[in-house]
Amino acid sequence: MVEKLIKRSIHEAENPIEITLREAFCVLEPKLRPPFPLTIPTQEGYSNLNRAILYGILCEPHLAKVHVKHLHGIITDGYEYFTSILVKIVIELYGKLVDSVKRQLIWVTHELVDVSAVGYDGLLVALLRQIVGGDFGEENLWLCFEMVNLFSSKWVCLLEEVPLVLSGALYVFLRLLADHCRVMNIPKIESLRQMEIAFCVRLLREKFSLCLRIGRDLVRLLQDLVHVPEFRSIWKDLLYNPSAFKVDGFVDISQIYGTRTSRWYFLLRITPEMESQLRFLLTCVKFGSQKRYQVWFARKFLAVPERTSVVIDIVRFICCAHHPSNEIINSDIIPRWAVIGWLLKYDMKHYVEANLKLALFYDWIFFDEKVDNIMNIEPAVLLMVHSIPRYIDITHSLLEFLFILLDNYDVERKEIVSRGISTALHTLIRKGVVQSLDVITSCDMLSPIFKERLGKLLSDWQFQHRQEFQTTNIPRDGIPSFSSSLESQTSA
Amino acid sequence: MEPETSLQPLKDIVPAAQNNINAKFILLDKGRVTLEGQYKTCLALVADETAAVHFQLWGDECDVFEPGDIIILTSGIFSYSRNNLVLRAGKRGKAQKVGEFTLAFVETPNLSEIRWAPDPNDPKKYVQQAVVSPHSRIFVPPR
Repeated sequence: MVEKLIKRSIHEAENPIEITLREAFCVLEPKLRPPFPLTIPTQEGYSNLNRAILYGILCEPHLAKVHVKHLHGIITDGYEYFTSILVKIVIELYGKLVDSVKRQLIWVTHELVDVSAVGYDGLLVALLRQIVGGDFGEENLWLCFEMVNLFSSKWVCLLEEVPLVLSGALYVFLRLLADHCRVMNIPKIESLRQMEIAFCVRLLREKFSLCLRIGRDLVRLLQDLVHVPEFRSIWKDLLYNPSAFKVDGFVDISQIYGTRTSRWYFLLRITPEMESQLRFLLTCVKFGSQKRYQVWFARKFLAVPERTSVVIDIVRFICCAHHPSNEIINSDIIPRWAVIGWLLKYDMKHYVEANLKLALFYDWIFFDEKVDNIMNIEPAVLLMVHSIPRYIDITHSLLEFLFILLDNYDVERKEIVSRGISTALHTLIRKGVVQSLDVITSCDMLSPIFKERLGKLLSDWQFQHRQEFQTTNIPRDGIPSFSSSLESQTSA
Repeated sequence: MEPETSLQPLKDIVPAAQNNINAKFILLDKGRVTLEGQYKTCLALVADETAAVHFQLWGDECDVFEPGDIIILTSGIFSYSRNNLVLRAGKRGKAQKVGEFTLAFVETPNLSEIRWAPDPNDPKKYVQQAVVSPHSRIFVPPR
């Protein structure tokens, strides 16, 4: 009896991927037992054989070892085709897979890492993306455990062959730890937490140069874990003893601030399904017609209170990983600021709301025209401006938060933050994203203190800018820039 | 392999006593489940890029389909059922979920909120006579 790949009701259409796999398996099943035929198949025959073996591995756990031996024997393309189908299955079908198939999926992933299969980095990334943030259900925690276990146990070869994926895993587990360290009373989470912490601390201590590839969002993730004992010493070293990380040229945390995080990282904490729905919303739905879509999205992804923390990652994704074309911007499609405004009104815990605002402004506080993209900072200013007057409380709360950041984000490096925010504002005005900030500074409903500070920020920047033209070319803060070499390695 | 039946835009469907509707649409809203004899039934609002219409869910369909689901209907029927003009799978048709969310839609016109009359040239066919309401009066568009 052929076992099923996915859970499906009769009211759901059959999935094309499952159909092709099952059909190949049914046709070739007699040839999947030893003695294996030694004939060299045609291109089509090879593809069918790969599909059949894959179906067998996933659906016949008791014969998996036989199937995988067969696979090793027939491979002529470095497992590229085989791995590519697996990636498709993970991206399109993971949530619907039968439990035993998920176990087999992880098992065969280990096998593919062991043989350095072509494309296995894409498979690891696809699996990481299936870990749902804020979901403390058994299945999701199981996947979390399996992935941290895989990354920990295959450390040496992953470091050598796919270091960028390891940095991606660090991003994922640091982010997950922020949720995992806030929850109590979940069985098994303690041991999972320990594994995640061990993985992250090891990578930070032993391969800090790799961790630096993440860029400034590394700091954003680490600061959420300051209360965790194992990360406290990392923080202390980061702030007061950077040489402890033994990376040549790394002497100050501000160098990390100066490195924009590549958009690839922000996809890691959004499932492909969430990504496709958000991109559809921002590409195809007219402003004014979004209500039903928002209800469906919220019901699917934000219904459980613990899961609302994913809005932080959604905001980072919208700002940095989804840049609409000019055509879309000039059309009547719902703009990014409106989607963020909707998320901001969602019911959430204080720390989630604060982190959401931080995610919205994170590229403001270190904005540098040479390194940063205006599209990352555009949604925040438009949200502030367009919320006047109907949602003035949003403008107020965002302005208030901006000044809290200015005053408190890094007290010892306040000039950097101040320069970043002023540069962001000036660039937005200069490039015409907003004509001016008059709509804010002349708004009666906003606090005079904010308006005054905003005005001062703008005029101070102009004064400073004039001064910089007069001095000779001194590197910023006297610290060599770390951004250029890292930028070329992590292309946006 | 069955030959692919071509899909009609909802704006083109016409009431008829035939299982001839093949369409792809998204479920916008679902009403209350009631019993008709021993069978569950429930009215829903579905729509595609061209129009909306009321869809009658029957039996298990009431539980399985949710707002946001993209559905392909094959051999469906668009006709009067207890004075309501509804699209449904019927005995010979099939409604299947093929995806979620990623389909654009309009709520106007709603073909169930149109008064139809027999075509003077061909009494067996119906034509649109008047608009009763631009959108569903049961599932009013959200503000």
